[in-house]
Amino acid sequence: MMIGSGAARRPLGRTTIHVAIVMSLAFALLAGAAGYWGMVRAPELVRSPNDAAVIAAARTVPRGLIRDRTGRLLADNKKDEHGEFYRVYAGSALSQVVGYASPTFGRAGLERAYDAELTGLAGDPLTDAFAKFGAKRYDPKDLTVSLSLDLQRAAVAALGKRRGAVVMLDPRTGEVLALASTPSYDASAIANPDTARAAFSALQADPALPLLPRATLGRYVPGSVFKIATAVAGLGSGAITPRTTFKQQPAAEKNGLLVEGYRVQDGHHPATGTTALDLVGATEVSCNIYYALTGLETGGADLVAYAERMGFGSPLPFDLPTAVSQVTNGEGRQPGGFADDVELANASYGQAETFVTPLQMALVAATVAHDGDLMRPRLVTSLTGDLSGSRTIGAESMGRVISATDARAINAAMVRAVEGPLGRQYTSGAKVAGVTTAGKSGTAELGGTGEPHSWFIGFAPAENPRVVIAVLVEQAGRGGEVAAPIAGDLMTLYLKGPS
Amino acid sequence: MTQDATGMTRETRGPALPRVLGPIRPRPRWVESRLLALVAIALVVGSLSLGATVNGTFRLFDARGLAIYLGALLAAHVAQVLAGRRTDQVLLPTVAMLGGISLLLMQRLPQDLVTQTFFGVTLGLAEVQLVWLLCALAVATTLGIVIRSDSWLRRYKYTWAAVGVGLLLLTFVFGTEINGQRLTLQIGPFSGQPTELLKVILVVFLAGYLSENRALIVEQDTRLGPLRLPPLPYLAPMVAMWAIALGIVVVQRDLGAALLFFGVFLAMLYVATGRLSLVVIGLVLFVLGSALMATLFDHIRTRVDIWLDPFVDPLGAGYQIVQALHAFARGGLVGVGLGAGLPEIGGRPPIPEVHTDFPLAALGEELGIVGVVAILGLFLVVVERGLRIGAAAADDFRSLLAVGLALVIGIQAFIIAAGNLKVLPLTGVTLPFISYGGSSLLANALVVGLLLALSDKGVEPPPLPRVSSRWRRMGRTSAA
Repeated sequence: MMIGSGAARRPLGRTTIHVAIVMSLAFALLAGAAGYWGMVRAPELVRSPNDAAVIAAARTVPRGLIRDRTGRLLADNKKDEHGEFYRVYAGSALSQVVGYASPTFGRAGLERAYDAELTGLAGDPLTDAFAKFGAKRYDPKDLTVSLSLDLQRAAVAALGKRRGAVVMLDPRTGEVLALASTPSYDASAIANPDTARAAFSALQADPALPLLPRATLGRYVPGSVFKIATAVAGLGSGAITPRTTFKQQPAAEKNGLLVEGYRVQDGHHPATGTTALDLVGATEVSCNIYYALTGLETGGADLVAYAERMGFGSPLPFDLPTAVSQVTNGEGRQPGGFADDVELANASYGQAETFVTPLQMALVAATVAHDGDLMRPRLVTSLTGDLSGSRTIGAESMGRVISATDARAINAAMVRAVEGPLGRQYTSGAKVAGVTTAGKSGTAELGGTGEPHSWFIGFAPAENPRVVIAVLVEQAGRGGEVAAPIAGDLMTLYLKGPS
Repeated sequence: MTQDATGMTRETRGPALPRVLGPIRPRPRWVESRLLALVAIALVVGSLSLGATVNGTFRLFDARGLAIYLGALLAAHVAQVLAGRRTDQVLLPTVAMLGGISLLLMQRLPQDLVTQTFFGVTLGLAEVQLVWLLCALAVATTLGIVIRSDSWLRRYKYTWAAVGVGLLLLTFVFGTEINGQRLTLQIGPFSGQPTELLKVILVVFLAGYLSENRALIVEQDTRLGPLRLPPLPYLAPMVAMWAIALGIVVVQRDLGAALLFFGVFLAMLYVATGRLSLVVIGLVLFVLGSALMATLFDHIRTRVDIWLDPFVDPLGAGYQIVQALHAFARGGLVGVGLGAGLPEIGGRPPIPEVHTDFPLAALGEELGIVGVVAILGLFLVVVERGLRIGAAAADDFRSLLAVGLALVIGIQAFIIAAGNLKVLPLTGVTLPFISYGGSSLLANALVVGLLLALSDKGVEPPPLPRVSSRWRRMGRTSAA
């Protein structure tokens, strides 16, 4: 081998070009990263409460106001002795929805979800691009929400010292009328810089979790209110008709329903005797066996699929963050993710691995109330800014879940559950006087010795529903006895005004 | 004319000492003057925009500072014209643009971020930076005019290496610790960061070493199982470099400098030998070293964790980088305009150390993606000019020297820009020509000055290749 020949003599130009190419690619990568942060991630980052511009604006620009559906102020601004603004709220009934905005403790609720709009940073990209060069850099927007302050206060008062949640909405538009969670807290105390620290640490230490908005983020065993979802899936998939009965049902009520060697037990309904119940009859007496059989007939895949059409399985398209409701934990190998038919049978009346938020159950009732067409739930109905003008957020459908015929069949069954001769005995107090009322109570067994969760979902007037309600009271006893009267009172208040 | 003729012969014979004085024949530099005019226009427009945003009046933001800077650019240009050398005409305007951007940025930041008192006069951030920019211009221009011989670099490469290691050791032992990093060496009233100078010394040494031993590294193999390695003795510098890089990380906690040194080393090794296997081995060593470091040292693991997901703790550990990313996001495509960004919280800019570590994020907010890409483009121009000078150089030493110097700027800019953009973990190296800081500006001016000098093909030819002692031992004679 001859040293000093060949490659050694090779000029350096070739390798230098390689290095030039690598450097160019490296810098192109940087340009790509700049594009990623400046364009792709920008919409999310500039709205974040950690953004310096958001923080700076919060101190110098008054936030947009928040009003209820009648124009009453829910969130207002005051100035402290340093000239910086802080928030004042219309009472503690709203705190779980409106939330708070504090320079020290961040934001919650609508104050967090609409932080960018309230501080006046967000707009459509085009307006933003021009606003950059304008004299006025911030355009805080006032929010109007669909809540009724009266109804909200009444709902919180009805729950009283108990832990629970009330969701009321208009099934025709999806407008949320009340979104109450108890225990609540005083958001003004967190927003006020003088009291913020003490108030916040007290709330954090409270074992009742007052900072948790139960209506949207609490997940509960639904019990019998879930039967309405099973009915939706059963009718929607064609597995049952309103006239379907199950021969084995009356006997199974006495001896238990044998599913894969495991007995699904249900107390015998004394008044029904040996009659095989149809949809209306089974709903009136809340027959677990009927719904277990309906669920088995429907199959896990369709049960989950119809539940997902109503919002199960993913966060709801709502103004506030929501917990994900589930029919099953999805770990099983059977269709829909059920472990076996026993789980499917139990889930069909809401007692297996089924966990739901009160808002989700309100949507199940709203599906029935609006003839199978589920409207997207929403709080903010309009945004108004000095520069950008007013923008209304209209009603929109989440899609048709079942046919109007099927929905009316369930509607009729739910009327019987409230107004039927047997239903009245189970679901007392839900009836709105003089108005046909539909509903379903639920008593969610938690296992062990604790009291069950008390549930009610329903709507009125049944012929042309204007209000849907879901009531949950944690560990308060039978749904018909605790949740149903609260629902009746609140629907009465909304439909007839304060008496 | 006899004088000229004798001058010429003296030059071609190549005296050992740099020739400063000689016949001066002015030579116009049209490309440079046009580019500098463009730079001046851009900076004036920038200053007007800054003034309009901050003061609301259509006047230059800090007319005096800008005038001094533009005057200095003119002086540098005139000096080069008068010197009459055929040196590169793009480098100076490119660097002048970067420096001008730096000046506008420093003028726009709170002036009390840095205050220094020289001879009883207290200067704020922009004024101190202006002083350093002027010094840097003077250094670059002077070197570009004066240096006509490279023998002082070529001959004494081991001396330079010794000086470098000495500087490093001095910093290890006597360095002042700031923010947990031992980077600064204080001698009397003067303080500086020796690693900035060290990177130049490293390139000089590597250029000397590699140009001399390149043939051997390329041609000879040591077989180690399936691996074909270069002759083992020639791996020694690689191991030494690796050790020095690790030393810098451990003792100085300066990840950025270690990354820079190792990156420059690998790139130069590749340029000299064309052996990708060496680069791969180097990278493997580097990854192993980094993994070892990450398991041994908490502060490095923390850095890596922050890099992987800074949004876990946006107000704590990840604060700086999260705020930088927010700045890029606020800037969007075209930026919010000079002076309109960096919303102050309690009178402070949102990004701590914005003037040293995060100037690119600040510029990203105010000039947008367009501005960032333009600035990255300017750095690429510097690199491209350097590589071009290297490719056209008369021999291997000059080639490698120019390539190495260009890469020092390019890789350093990449490391800190990548840190700002969360492409790499954040390290504390400066953004060349833009970050605040005298050591950085002067060292990078030294690089530019050397590149300018190297770009002149009219200077004395390089000496004949020396036959290395190893060749002689092997009984070979020069192929020439």
